[in-house]
Amino acid sequence: MALPLPGAEWSSKDKPYQIGVRARSFVPSFTKTNDARSMTNDQILPKPSVDVLRKMSDEALITAFQSGDHDVYRFLVERHQERIRNLLFSIFHDRDFIDDLAQEVFIKAYQALPRFRFEASFYTWLYRIAVNKSRDELRKKKLRRFFSFQTLDEGIEKELNMRLSVPPEDRDTQELVALGLQSLPEKFRTAVVLKDIDGLSYEEIAEVMQCELGTVKSRISRARSMLRKVLKPLLEEVV
Amino acid sequence: MKKMNEQQMDRLLSQYVDGRLSEIEVQKVESFLALDTSARQRVKELRRLKDLLASKQKLVPDIGFWTRFAVALEEQKKDEHSLLPFPRKFVPAITIMVAAVVVVAGTLVIQNRMQFIQYFSEKSQAVRKVYEKNVLQGQLLPLFSKVDKDRALQFSLFGTLALDDKSKTELRVDEQSKKGYRIEVGKDSKNKAKPMTFNHFLAEVKPTSGQKHLIDSLLELTGRRIESSVLIGENNTMAIAPDLPNLNRLMVTNIAACLEPNQRVQFERLLEANDAPYTVTAQSVPARKGDRIFQNIPQSPRDNRFVIITPDTMMYSQLHIDFDSLRRHMEENVVMFELRREAMLKRMIAREFQHAPRNLPWPQPVQSFGNEEFFSVEINVPVEEIEQQQMRVIIQPRIRKQILQTAAPNHSIQVRTWRDTASEGLTR
Repeated sequence: MALPLPGAEWSSKDKPYQIGVRARSFVPSFTKTNDARSMTNDQILPKPSVDVLRKMSDEALITAFQSGDHDVYRFLVERHQERIRNLLFSIFHDRDFIDDLAQEVFIKAYQALPRFRFEASFYTWLYRIAVNKSRDELRKKKLRRFFSFQTLDEGIEKELNMRLSVPPEDRDTQELVALGLQSLPEKFRTAVVLKDIDGLSYEEIAEVMQCELGTVKSRISRARSMLRKVLKPLLEEVV
Repeated sequence: MKKMNEQQMDRLLSQYVDGRLSEIEVQKVESFLALDTSARQRVKELRRLKDLLASKQKLVPDIGFWTRFAVALEEQKKDEHSLLPFPRKFVPAITIMVAAVVVVAGTLVIQNRMQFIQYFSEKSQAVRKVYEKNVLQGQLLPLFSKVDKDRALQFSLFGTLALDDKSKTELRVDEQSKKGYRIEVGKDSKNKAKPMTFNHFLAEVKPTSGQKHLIDSLLELTGRRIESSVLIGENNTMAIAPDLPNLNRLMVTNIAACLEPNQRVQFERLLEANDAPYTVTAQSVPARKGDRIFQNIPQSPRDNRFVIITPDTMMYSQLHIDFDSLRRHMEENVVMFELRREAMLKRMIAREFQHAPRNLPWPQPVQSFGNEEFFSVEINVPVEEIEQQQMRVIIQPRIRKQILQTAAPNHSIQVRTWRDTASEGLTR
């Protein structure tokens, strides 16, 4: 077995040689050490370039992280930040709010990453954190609404009907879809967002939402049925 | 297919558009769709919905996200670092350890509960024994016992009470109209009051038999209150009820209140002739009834509070003492108590205060100062509190004659009088 060349793709089967971990005895002796304290066996591998790190798989980066190289977390964040931001945006439809929430998700992931067991893919694991976080936030919002005697759902439906009542050429499809999603209960909304916007499989959604496969199927079909109902004029437009 | 309800149909078609059905199921659905227009419409709508959702606008990539996140992460780390006294990775282990310790300790407590109960019960009994030993068996004794009518009258009228016949040492309580009260123990021959007996009082004031009976009861009550207001203990400890001067004034007021206006004039003459510190002011007020008088007299020190003085320190604390049982105990062992009291008294009179006057912050500023033969406790009571006391109607502090000759009679003179007295005591 040989060390992969810089820039070459690192796969999970190459785990024993992944970046950031301490060198084994077969590492060539020309590698210079720069930190004597971190030496255990022989020497330390030179840190790969940013380009190499960017091309490394999630698993390789996590292994490096778990071995003590916390700097590689940056590449995990950069790789997944847009998916998480978009997921949260689809759920909340609030541009100002989602950045803070996304930060909280990545902080939570940073804290939990040392305990990551590679039983699921990193992004489904990250999605699970994001979904749990968004569930907590929705619960808080619901509580705040309850104490301020507001009924948000009524407001959304009213706005949807108002926007659908204009001529088809004046309709803002994106806004209508977003409002339609907002009108769904949290469980159905998350399921349909994960399926139709993020493109996750039923199995992945079951893992993210921590529920049975049958429940996922049911939630997705219920969500679509509700959306068909509220967005009927929009769906009939082209059909 | 026809037997399916709406929900089942939705679920089937939803999976059909997702390509989740088996080939056989797909064939069945498609043959059904060929026949059912509304189902076909539904599938079209579902596909359109999927397209709309898939084409939902994405957010513009945020290039500054990492920078902001890195700052937030650093802050989070700092917060955690300041909250936890150990690295975060030890949290689970430490939590498990703490839980284990709690479980073990809880189990031990439950298993050995009888021993614990016994231990606390013994502790409680020990506290009781200490109390009985210290209070009931003479560790803390009333400085005055068997205060008779003459001594009670002497105290009421002049605020002085001889500790014993031999040492010529007196307890003196007096009040400063502005600042509060002073309690003194020491030899002070200059200010020594003239001896006053109950018979002398009767001869001068000439009360009726009813009044005499009433005053008799008042003096008995005064004696009891004096007994329970000044206590001495081992190690030169002394406890004085801070409301003792109240008692002095209260009793003079009550004696005056028992008397008719003409008798009160006689009483005022008696006070003046003996240079008593009080003067009767409301001479024309008719005599009060006995039950109203006795209502005003507290049976024990207020809130069981005492100023406790030791050679080293002074504090203001509550002492819960059952004086009735203490008296009974003393009556049963008179000789022993008298000997012990005498020994304590000797030490008390010869006491030496090491510290300069000091203040106590709550509830009343109190000062204590003295030398080998004299010590004084000064209790500063706010003026409002003095004014609230109902007996002021009849009795007012008397302005001493020698002071009257040199200055106008006002409150400041009263204060000066007391400062003079204090300085005399201190310089001696």
